[in-house]
Amino acid sequence: MDFSLQQDSPEMAAFRKEVRAWLQENMKGAEHLRWSASWSTRENDEEYQFRRDLAGKLGRKGWLFPMFPTEYGGGGLTVEHQLVIETELDRYGLNINHVFYTLARIVAPVILKWGTEEQKREFLPPMCRGEISVWQVLTEPQGGSDVANCQTKAIRDGDCYVVNGQKVMVGHHLPPDFLWTLVCTDPSRPRHENLGWLHIPANLPGITIQHMHLMMGIKNAVFFDNVRVPAKYLVGGENNGWKVANTHLELEHGGEGRVGTDPLVERVIEYCQQNEVDGRPLIEDPKVRELIADMSIELHTVSLMARRIAWHRYVRQPHPYGGAQFRYHQRMVRLRNGERLQQIMGCDALIPNLSVNEVVDFEYVVRSGPGQLHGGGTLDTDRLVFARRVGLGRPTTEKAPETI
Amino acid sequence: MDLRLNETQNMLKKVAADFVKAEAPAHVLTQWYLKRQTAQTELYRKGAGLGWAGMMLPERFGGAGASAMDCAVVFEELGRGPLPGPFFSSGVLGAQLVMEGGSDAQKKTLLPDICSGKDIVVPALTDRGVHFGPEAVQTRLTKSGGNLVLDGSKKFVFDAEAATSFVCAARTDNGDVALVIVDRASPGVFVTPHTGFGISIAEVRFEKAQVPAANALGGAGTGWQTVERALEKTLPILCAYQVGGCQEIFDFTVEYTRTRVVFGQPIGRFQRVQDHVVELSIHLDAARLTTYETLWKLDSGMPARASVHEAKAVASEGYYQACNYAHMVFAGPGTDYQHPLMAHSVLAHTLYQYLGTPLHHKHKMMDALYPRSGAK
Repeated sequence: MDFSLQQDSPEMAAFRKEVRAWLQENMKGAEHLRWSASWSTRENDEEYQFRRDLAGKLGRKGWLFPMFPTEYGGGGLTVEHQLVIETELDRYGLNINHVFYTLARIVAPVILKWGTEEQKREFLPPMCRGEISVWQVLTEPQGGSDVANCQTKAIRDGDCYVVNGQKVMVGHHLPPDFLWTLVCTDPSRPRHENLGWLHIPANLPGITIQHMHLMMGIKNAVFFDNVRVPAKYLVGGENNGWKVANTHLELEHGGEGRVGTDPLVERVIEYCQQNEVDGRPLIEDPKVRELIADMSIELHTVSLMARRIAWHRYVRQPHPYGGAQFRYHQRMVRLRNGERLQQIMGCDALIPNLSVNEVVDFEYVVRSGPGQLHGGGTLDTDRLVFARRVGLGRPTTEKAPETI
Repeated sequence: MDLRLNETQNMLKKVAADFVKAEAPAHVLTQWYLKRQTAQTELYRKGAGLGWAGMMLPERFGGAGASAMDCAVVFEELGRGPLPGPFFSSGVLGAQLVMEGGSDAQKKTLLPDICSGKDIVVPALTDRGVHFGPEAVQTRLTKSGGNLVLDGSKKFVFDAEAATSFVCAARTDNGDVALVIVDRASPGVFVTPHTGFGISIAEVRFEKAQVPAANALGGAGTGWQTVERALEKTLPILCAYQVGGCQEIFDFTVEYTRTRVVFGQPIGRFQRVQDHVVELSIHLDAARLTTYETLWKLDSGMPARASVHEAKAVASEGYYQACNYAHMVFAGPGTDYQHPLMAHSVLAHTLYQYLGTPLHHKHKMMDALYPRSGAK
């Protein structure tokens, strides 16, 4: 049994040195930026540009998709390399997803799994180089959790699919290059066999994007009005969209895992050391210590579950129920931690940007408590998936879809 | 990173699992818990014969020189029973207390018989029921001629009935905590099992019990430090035992959701029932992962104090909650002593208290991570 993330072989120690030196050089001038969970609503243009530039630089070194084959623009490296890169980025409060800030971290593995050779060669290199931003465009107004009940039509017409319909609550406040989406390709076929998956260039005529102002910040409604999408953008083949969706959803719903740490507890401790009540720092208060202990323990169990999933993924043995379990647990823990922050910090927990260099934005943690419960699928869908994977009330268990 | 058991551990696991199946099939084990016959000393000695008592101690003292992870693998399987008997209390913690506190001569004399299972040395540490810690050590240790004399009452001694002797924490005249080994057969030692929802617990009273001066473990004033050192190395083994309990509960609960049919379908098709199992699984895996990570830290020689306390808090709470969620799924039949869930349930409630509650260990974890000003 070995939980270590940083016990390197000599070769990996040398690689870590290289990555660390490279980051030191390339993170210069970024020390004042907030690499926080709240960036999706707070990030300014300077921050955004810096991060995208960093993604490009990482991508060109093969460090954005370290384990991807080099012929598609990846690093062709091992799981050990990936761990080194992720743990070094973690020192800056970043991880690869964080730097990239695009769904491509999920999209690229799905293309690697389901794309044709031609599609892999065309779609993957720009993603691996960190050049494009992709939005996942799945939710429909009537569909919600019932993703397979997809009403956006994509009807074949010559070399194109003609797309009509509407998606909601997708993306963020900065524009996409591609829309990664599930469509209904044949309304006459039975459920699950009537779907296709399209990788749609966002600049095609007939696409309108409209901001929606939500609890967690800006999301969008996307309207497709007779959008002609060349057929080469269909991923996974004719009427095979639901299988593609399964790989995508497994990755999105916790199956990706991660090895980073959450800086929330450290920041709360700092706050409690700096703030006094009755001449005594908050950190000396037994009740506060109990709240922080619960916060710390729960976050730690979340990160251990994520690390276990990452390991299962790296050794190519998907954990049967780990993704769904992790995702449910993580979101319930965030919800509880929001309340704990309010109990510890009082009104301060509701004031944004409490201090300029905060890595953690407490107000965002509080707000995202209820706000993050359903993004990408509700808690209830997580529990449904768990039940199927474990085989509750069923003689057989459902296997986790293959991810890469 | 590698989250697999190694070959030796897989073998240890199988031997322990086979032992539990052969020695304590469910219909036998449930009767022990119902009739409160949990002081299974012969069963314990059989296990000791397989090397499970003093497993982590050096071979020169009769131990097996095993890593914490190796030992935990065995205890996880014992916990699946849950196999009663002083496997942890004497075979792990009792042995470790002698290892940490004893002189070389004492170790040479005492440990081989503890490791063989002949002597069952059960810790009797705190007096009060309400609190775990040196403050709750109240039994008096006084000198009388060449002997020591113990007076006091330990309210909650786990596995006391199985003991041949006790490692007793007591307060000397100047207020220090000392550890002494007391023969259970000495005049003035009384063991009174508790009834009620707890299991394998008894009050142990010392009424002017005479203890040879040579039975003192370590110098006066070092007693509680010895306890803390021993706990840091052994609590994760108890956690592994609780993890095994959680895993067994998870497994038979999942199976029940498939076979129990009401309203025309297996109950596992009901989402309310599924919810209970989701929560159960989170407690199971949180307990397992924090325990395994702690064992890895111990075996790698990393600082582990905060982890140890975290694991004990999570595993005790996890075992307790795993039982509660299983009770929601099983309803009536789960409260019948014929079902193993009842054995787990009484044990989980007992281990929740044993060596400190989850809340106690959360505070200890915080003290290890962020010491209070003025704290030791």
